[in-house]
Amino acid sequence: MDEMNDMHEVGRNESLAVSIDQRGTVIAVGDIDLAGGPLLEKAILQQEESQPIIIDLAGVEFIDSSGLRSLLSASRRAQGRDTSVTLRNPSSGVLRLLSITGTTTQFVIEEAAS
Amino acid sequence: MNTATPAEAAPDTADSGTGQLVTLVVPAVAAMARVARLTASSVASLGDMTVDDIDDIKIAVSELMTLFIQHDDPSEITLRFDAGELAFSIDATMAVSGADLEGPEALLARAVLDAVCDVYELDSLDGRIAARVVKKRSDQSTSSRG
Repeated sequence: MDEMNDMHEVGRNESLAVSIDQRGTVIAVGDIDLAGGPLLEKAILQQEESQPIIIDLAGVEFIDSSGLRSLLSASRRAQGRDTSVTLRNPSSGVLRLLSITGTTTQFVIEEAAS
Repeated sequence: MNTATPAEAAPDTADSGTGQLVTLVVPAVAAMARVARLTASSVASLGDMTVDDIDDIKIAVSELMTLFIQHDDPSEITLRFDAGELAFSIDATMAVSGADLEGPEALLARAVLDAVCDVYELDSLDGRIAARVVKKRSDQSTSSRG
């Protein structure tokens, strides 16, 4: 089966495209910034029944503090439900921002198998 | 701490301009953050900055836009990018009333600026906010970081 056909697009704008696949994974492609952050947050809110929330960041090339706030908000809400947010396939740029801000431990990091 | 007075921050770039000076005026809306990043990275590329330096510059510009765009304010942001021989500098200004440069959101942006830039300063005065960011070339900053 072609999984791409089972993707539900939550929305897209000039910075980011966000969809949800059949397993409930939130897939972000583009930049998570001031414009992209709210779009990602909208998708995450749609998936908050999922335990844990998984966000695939393989297609994310850029993130800044405004985008990180969306992820941190999701993490805080998840912790309130005794679950977690998994960041799958984060780029070096995403990992660097997490490190700079000391927020790496707020997430489960799932890096791509080499 | 990477904040500095203008007198401390200015000499690195003021004496080393190479003509790669670009001024960008954009509406203060979220969609313009990407435009500002793309412009900054293009100017930095013209100035032969390294890929890592350009990545830091893109983050810095995005954080400035985050700091400036806090309200639905029909204002404009003026960004001046200067790719000098020793450093890349960004000067940003915006007319705004009641900018919050100390709130939780601003603090996160400032922490990132502190990490990716060699110098940054923010001022809110007389209905304007202004920022200056300097990113030294990698070979320059590694020799001067304490």
